[in-house]
Amino acid sequence: MNKIMYLEFERCIGCRACQAACRECGDHDAKERNYVEYVDFTESRQTFPMLCMQCKDPACARVCPANAIQITEEGVVLSAMEEKCIGCRNCTFGCPFGIPKFDFEKNKMYKCDMCYDRTREGISPMCASVCPSDAIRFIDFDEMQELRRRRTQMNLIEGKKPQEGNKWDYVPEFFGVYTDSNQ
Amino acid sequence: MHRLEKSFYSKTSMYSFLVLLVLFLSMWVATDQFLHIDMALLGYAISSAIFAVGLTIRMSFWLYRTATNRVASRSMKNLFTKERLKWSAKAVLITLVDNIILQKFIFKRGLYRGIQHLMISWGCLISFAITFGLTFGWMRFDLIDPETYQIVVFNIPTMKMAAHGLFAEIVYNGLNIGAIMVLIGASMALWRRISSYDVKVTQRFEFDILPLLILLSVTVTGLILTVLYTFFDGWMHHYMSLVHQVTVVIMLVYFPFGKLFHVPVRPLAAAVPMSYQEVVKVDTKTCKCCRQPYSNDDQIADVQAILQAQNFDLRLADGTQLSDYCTGCRRRMRALKQMNMEAPKGNPYGPVDTNNGIHLSGFSKKRSEEFYGIDIEQDYKGEKDSEPVSR
Repeated sequence: MNKIMYLEFERCIGCRACQAACRECGDHDAKERNYVEYVDFTESRQTFPMLCMQCKDPACARVCPANAIQITEEGVVLSAMEEKCIGCRNCTFGCPFGIPKFDFEKNKMYKCDMCYDRTREGISPMCASVCPSDAIRFIDFDEMQELRRRRTQMNLIEGKKPQEGNKWDYVPEFFGVYTDSNQ
Repeated sequence: MHRLEKSFYSKTSMYSFLVLLVLFLSMWVATDQFLHIDMALLGYAISSAIFAVGLTIRMSFWLYRTATNRVASRSMKNLFTKERLKWSAKAVLITLVDNIILQKFIFKRGLYRGIQHLMISWGCLISFAITFGLTFGWMRFDLIDPETYQIVVFNIPTMKMAAHGLFAEIVYNGLNIGAIMVLIGASMALWRRISSYDVKVTQRFEFDILPLLILLSVTVTGLILTVLYTFFDGWMHHYMSLVHQVTVVIMLVYFPFGKLFHVPVRPLAAAVPMSYQEVVKVDTKTCKCCRQPYSNDDQIADVQAILQAQNFDLRLADGTQLSDYCTGCRRRMRALKQMNMEAPKGNPYGPVDTNNGIHLSGFSKKRSEEFYGIDIEQDYKGEKDSEPVSR
């Protein structure tokens, strides 16, 4: 069973339930690790959720001088190991997506770990399980493929064609290809 | 140096050899040409040598990492720059006192964890100092008259102490004191590892619990030795000392390759105040997009150099790198790119047209096209300028 985190930014209604849920997750120490941000606050109330992409070759781990960022066998990029992290914040600057957060008080970095204790068991992460508008979904690989096809069809029905500037509209983003332990 | 390097299998093996050579010479000097060597500790000496080699290999590989190398070499350079000497010395001192001696940052993660870690680390440091001091013969006690011991360090006679004085008792029981500290700390840590649901999320037996069990086995067998010779007239002492030796050898051999390797990594924390925070919590580098200060110029230069050395191409069309933007702007850029709402036509730094024709914009007011820098005339002509521009 391949599970995938599927984000649709347009569906976000800005309720921040995902952030509240994130704070409740095990080992998150009552601090949220995901983001809900405004596209342009002066223009509209459109928000978007943002999570870690769980890169295959994460830039954050590559710029870490203490070698503190580890990747699990499932492909989840974990927060910096507390005993190694020297608190230099290189990861927050190296990450191309601006994901890792830094706790100045406790001198350590923390980031989205896809609720490792839940997803490890095939349970959907906290944010995806509470999202009321399905902006964040934790779905099967096949379901994701279906959504992608439908989205492309919809675009074609509306008479839109992919162009260099908007080709990504036709290939919805997915990330965090996730192999379950029940396999 | 290069020639010397060529005569070895690798750089790492050269460093390992040099470390062993220094250890051997220090033993030779300290034991007065092996006259005062304690043969009972030979097993410990050999495993300590293995420990030293393992540590050298791990440290070398760690320092070869692009990121570590960059940060460490900048710190070394800063340390020996005259103008920065005062700040660097202060930074090293602050790190030494706050991070390593007092371990304040762990106390901020919780009092329980602070006490636990302080106990383990200081217990280990005391025990390691005494063990290495005695096994390599760096330190020994000479009886100069029936009531007085003299401490000899590196074959140089230093202070004298009464054989039954308070100071002497503390010195004799140094390992016991260290062992009790480690016993308390490691038990606390083990309890936390067993009972807390939070730490179980990412904990692994072989990485997080095994070192605690190894430390506990060393301390418990060591303390049993003390109990045996004080209360049981040395009953089974000989066998127990062998068991203790086995546990210590396992610990020393395990040290460079497991969780305990974080100890030699820690001093790099001095690099943070030394190179990246000339003034604490004041940032000098401003974001290319929102103009807010978010970091330090040196640090961003380092990050970019590290990424480039590892073939990460995070440059944008206008020549800037993603790390030139603050984290918030980077997140926004990604979302906009994906929603094809990138700032708009002509000026990539201009306001974003969030009106996608489906949702009304926030104030239900349609802005004029000029606001977004869109030239309708040009649009009709199909000029290239009106295409969305990426940064």
